[in-house]
Amino acid sequence: MKKITNIIISISLGAFLGFVLTESQAISWYRIQEMFHFQSFHMFGLLGSAVVTGALSLIIIKKLKIKSMNNNPVKLKDKPLIWKANLFGGILFGLGWGLTGACSAPLFILVGLSWKLGLLLLIGALSGTFFYALLKDKLPH
Amino acid sequence: MNKEPLAWYIAGPMIGLIVPLLLILREKQFGVSSSYRYLISLFTKKPNYFSYDNKVDAWQIQFALGLIGVGLYYFFTNDSDFFFNEDLKNNFPVDFYSLENWFIFLGGGFLVGFGARYSNGCTAGHCIMGMSQLSPASFIATIGFFVGGLIVAYFVNPILFSY
Repeated sequence: MKKITNIIISISLGAFLGFVLTESQAISWYRIQEMFHFQSFHMFGLLGSAVVTGALSLIIIKKLKIKSMNNNPVKLKDKPLIWKANLFGGILFGLGWGLTGACSAPLFILVGLSWKLGLLLLIGALSGTFFYALLKDKLPH
Repeated sequence: MNKEPLAWYIAGPMIGLIVPLLLILREKQFGVSSSYRYLISLFTKKPNYFSYDNKVDAWQIQFALGLIGVGLYYFFTNDSDFFFNEDLKNNFPVDFYSLENWFIFLGGGFLVGFGARYSNGCTAGHCIMGMSQLSPASFIATIGFFVGGLIVAYFVNPILFSY
């Protein structure tokens, strides 16, 4: 029962994000191009206010010691600082983002919205992941 | 037909709320791109990168199913004007969502997957979650995302699409 509840929660939160990303047009290649050409504040406002909301929520959770649904304290792991990987990987990701207008979440939305293009993206992303796994030990981290 | 996007000051905070909701309801930190690693780990444990306790990432594929479901919803209701927003096409007169551009989708997707796993996170995990935690790694990664994106926007796409 618990397991099913968890699955339903995960799917629902994914769907919630999907609706917001689609309705705000953040999944559109045109919006991403507009952002990288600084032609509109839309995407910057979107990302900025999302981060501010996330940060404020974390402060509130800490201050009020809010617990999770299973009554556990909320624990946060910091992303490990591996600056070469963060930066070089980040640049490669950015190249892909600029080319396709899709980062990871919009990529999955596109799989449903336009399955031929979406599957091309997904096959690309999975091959990229596999290729990274092959090269991992040779890359600067 | 033009359709106004949902305003950023409504959509942005809604996206930000995913962070506390996931932590409280699922005890998970927001991220999407670990799902690629998870998906492959279902089929192979080699290279070593895929031999890990993949149960911790199972929720991400459920999350991704929610995203795909929303895509299908818009596909079947034909409510996908945002793809063809005329205003945006004036700035970039390009028919981007066309199968003729298959190599961009495949190659760009490859970079998204490779880059996200190399930098240990994507827009969700680094930009939203990591920066909310003030993680230095995430600030560096986000700078990288924009460096890559700007290079493409100014030097690659104008050649690909001659605009």
